[in-house]
Amino acid sequence: MSDMSKFPMTRRRFVQGAALGAGALMAPSIAFGQSKPDEIVVRAWGGAWGDALKAGVADGFTAETGIPVRFDFTEDNEIKPKIWAAVDQGRVPPIHVNWDTTINATISARRGVTVDLSDLPNLKGLLPIAHPAGLEGYPFVNTYSYVYVLAYRREAFPNGAPTSWRVMLDPKYKKRCALYDDGIGFTSIAVIAGGGSIADIPDNMKPGYDFLRQLKKNEPLLGEDPDFTTWFQNGEIDIACTISVNARAARQNGIAVDWTVPKEGAEVDTDGLWIPRGLPENEEYWAKQFVNHALSRDAQAKWCSALGLPPVYPGLKPPADLVGDPAYPTTSADFTKLVSIPSPVLVDNQSIWFAKFNEIFQG
Amino acid sequence: MKQAPANSWRPIDAVEAVVSTVWPRRWRDKIGWPFIAPALLLVGILVIGLGYIIQDSLHELDIATYRLGDDYTLANYGILAQKTVYRTVIGRTLLAAAIVTGVSLFLALPYAYVLTRTSSSAMRKFLLVAIFLPFFIGQVVRAYGWLIILGAKGLVNSLLGLLGIAPLDLLFNYGAVIFGLIQYMVPFAVLLLLPALAAIPEDVELASENLGANWMQTFWHVVLPMARPGLVGASVVVFTLTLTDFATPEILGGGTTDFIANTIYDSFFEISDPGLGSALSVVLVTIGSALVGLVFLALGTGTLDIARHQE
Repeated sequence: MSDMSKFPMTRRRFVQGAALGAGALMAPSIAFGQSKPDEIVVRAWGGAWGDALKAGVADGFTAETGIPVRFDFTEDNEIKPKIWAAVDQGRVPPIHVNWDTTINATISARRGVTVDLSDLPNLKGLLPIAHPAGLEGYPFVNTYSYVYVLAYRREAFPNGAPTSWRVMLDPKYKKRCALYDDGIGFTSIAVIAGGGSIADIPDNMKPGYDFLRQLKKNEPLLGEDPDFTTWFQNGEIDIACTISVNARAARQNGIAVDWTVPKEGAEVDTDGLWIPRGLPENEEYWAKQFVNHALSRDAQAKWCSALGLPPVYPGLKPPADLVGDPAYPTTSADFTKLVSIPSPVLVDNQSIWFAKFNEIFQG
Repeated sequence: MKQAPANSWRPIDAVEAVVSTVWPRRWRDKIGWPFIAPALLLVGILVIGLGYIIQDSLHELDIATYRLGDDYTLANYGILAQKTVYRTVIGRTLLAAAIVTGVSLFLALPYAYVLTRTSSSAMRKFLLVAIFLPFFIGQVVRAYGWLIILGAKGLVNSLLGLLGIAPLDLLFNYGAVIFGLIQYMVPFAVLLLLPALAAIPEDVELASENLGANWMQTFWHVVLPMARPGLVGASVVVFTLTLTDFATPEILGGGTTDFIANTIYDSFFEISDPGLGSALSVVLVTIGSALVGLVFLALGTGTLDIARHQE
């Protein structure tokens, strides 16, 4: 039996030891600042989009922090009012992080429901496009850009890619072309394809509306991302204005689909991440850590490579199949071929453009 | 004779004492109210919700803040009145409701009649199972099923191809939406017609035939009038369900055949304008309520055969 008299236990020693032990247990929390939640809930798009976020960001975040990440696949438009209602009513919002379009994020920022992310360390060194246009601070952060390409079935174009968006007016493609059901990604292109120019946007949209009226005669299908995949898969359509990610995912799944940026250009936009107000302090802290992680070099490389989209982290190489692809702009020369409408203009005009789009296609 | 133990009535006396305290004897003729209180509460919550929608419809969206403005205004209703697209959508929805109601009743009536009149137990069971099976599959799944059957490379066009016929355009149009809705509504119509047809005594039909009427004349002059409560009930239900449908036009319409419900969705979720969406919701509720109210006004509330029958 050991000689315990060498280690006399006084009351003072006991208290010191207990304090040390408690401190050791709390050290990770002290180091990270906040107690860890059971999970972080991130709203995400499904399919290829969600897979990319998991592989590129969520898995790495969980490995680093031990906090599991759960995806909420509620549509971006549908989660908005839920978050707004929660914030207005003083309830905890249903998610920690919203992966959202920049337009939607701008709307939520205007409404004042987003947490400022200006203190995130990984904001330093990002491309200027990461900063929300027309807004102070970082009510959200843009994470990558993407292009609304002209996707087409290879069989329908044996002589090569179509060169103009006006191919959608060809009677051969009546009911065989598709757009997003709110005209997103196409309204500004319609202006140019209709004989106008970028300078006409937003004060003179007539060329675009005239083009849409002509297109209406061809009875395009209107839908969302999953619809395009289904329609291409079932051979219902030959051409579509869709995000390059969807076209690439379809091709990777064996559907003979390619894409191009026609001579009129293609609309380029961004997506971002934001955190709703009203989360408990520790959960908001870890939500910010998630967003910070998503902006790291490693996460940006993996996430955006999986998506096939240009990241906001500079100097990363594109995936092998997208080198030189016009839908993967990396230089300022690449961006000149694309149509970029500032987010505030899109937000200010989207309801007007949507109403007109609806009037033309529902009438 | 064996007598009950003296204390056996005590629990019953205790229960009666509690009931008398909670619900005194003088209230006994109002015993029905507690039973319908849950239903009244549910309807009350819906009415309160409708009140909030009416309130929101009277405020315009401020796109600087994406919140509804403080001022009361009829601007949202003005937009609905001025823009032809909303009149088009409302007209399209009403027409669809009328067509679907008519065709559904036309198909459901003989089905329900055979179900109530068949002497074969096996046939009755088969018809019952056939009409209930669709309820196990949701509306969305059924609509997606039609995408597979009616698609460009679907079952129908594949069969036509075998016969040397070029593929037909069967999807993403008004006709496809009507077809999908009829397929969804016929079981509802059958279930609402069954009690009315079952209540018609077979002897009445036999008497009619004995007096010289043929089968068609008996059906037209005896069965149909006596089935009126079921026909009116089925019409009201099918019409209002079609008027408010969202999924079938969304999936089978190709995005260009929106009904009122789809437009309401777009207002709330696509353009984040709850004021406009609320105004459209009020219009939808008003139209539906007015039409149902007209039916009851024209035909009387007894038309559903729910009035007390005096002996």
